[in-house]
Amino acid sequence: MNLLVLYLLLLKATVTSFSGLTSLPVIHHDLVVERRVLTDRELNAAVAAGRAGPGPYGLYVVSVGYFVAGVPGAFMGLLALMTPAFLIIPMARYVGSKANQPRIRSAIEGVLAAAAGLLVASTLPLARESVTGAFSGAVALASFVLLTATRVDIGWVMLGAAAAGLLAAAL
Amino acid sequence: MPVAGLREMAWIFLRIGNLTFGGGDPIMAAFQRELVERRRWLSADQYALAFALARVTPGTNVLAFCAAVGWFLRGWLGAFIAVPAATVPSGLLVIALTAAYEELQGMRLAAGAIGGLLAAAVGMMVAAAWNLIRPRLVAGNRLRIAVLTLGALLLLLGFSVSPLVVLGLGAAAGALWTGPLAERQMREPS
Repeated sequence: MNLLVLYLLLLKATVTSFSGLTSLPVIHHDLVVERRVLTDRELNAAVAAGRAGPGPYGLYVVSVGYFVAGVPGAFMGLLALMTPAFLIIPMARYVGSKANQPRIRSAIEGVLAAAAGLLVASTLPLARESVTGAFSGAVALASFVLLTATRVDIGWVMLGAAAAGLLAAAL
Repeated sequence: MPVAGLREMAWIFLRIGNLTFGGGDPIMAAFQRELVERRRWLSADQYALAFALARVTPGTNVLAFCAAVGWFLRGWLGAFIAVPAATVPSGLLVIALTAAYEELQGMRLAAGAIGGLLAAAVGMMVAAAWNLIRPRLVAGNRLRIAVLTLGALLLLLGFSVSPLVVLGLGAAAGALWTGPLAERQMREPS
């Protein structure tokens, strides 16, 4: 895939999201469903790789870029991740307090609620590939519960899941 | 307020951006301690503006926050240093992890660990969705959030509406059907 096209597709996903993983439905739609340059399992692995280390959420687009076009693709992902951040400067300069207007905040809340629904919808095809039995089901459930009901750091959740998987394979 | 040195500034963004686990909120809290309280490079008002605007800027909130803080400290140059400094090292780590994933897939034990990671990532995605809407499920707002969230889910799953269109519909619906918080603010303009 052409690197510029990849950058623009990833940018389309990042610039229309307001929070880490909410760019995922657009990426799933464009790269997995429409263009078929990425598989569900690769997208799932990208999300795991993006969270296996430190740094901001949303880093998984770097991994998505790598799966599609190797290291140059990963740099397109990195660029697509960074580009929208600079929009804040004109906003700080000209818009300032307008961004805090109730109707704008309310519209953004609408986008976030819709993004949450989309995120669940596009997690389903990924789950079909990787949550296939009692063990993976238990890991997915444990991960969900730990990340919603406790304040445990996500790094520990990922480490625990890897260790559990290793152990299950060894036994 | 003291002027921020570029090299020192780059180092702070490098350190806090790449060594703080747990995503945006802990990272922004660490910047508050370092830049507002310790070094006094940034005023509390500037911090608050960067924090608030970052939430309404498209893309990754914490990177928008870094761009704004870099811009406050040293203008556009500051922003163009801050954002890559906070992103590139952890990005390189993600590339290494992805390459390792492709290499290790064939090995039995590694495949077990990867299976665990993939399953945990599924739980994490659903948790991210839930954590996004949970703070908004307050009295008088629950029906609105539920309709918007489930409506979006249904439009994608049941009718294959493009995600971008669904997000646009979410924005329009959110603007027209305002929540209790926004309405309260509308009645009492500050």
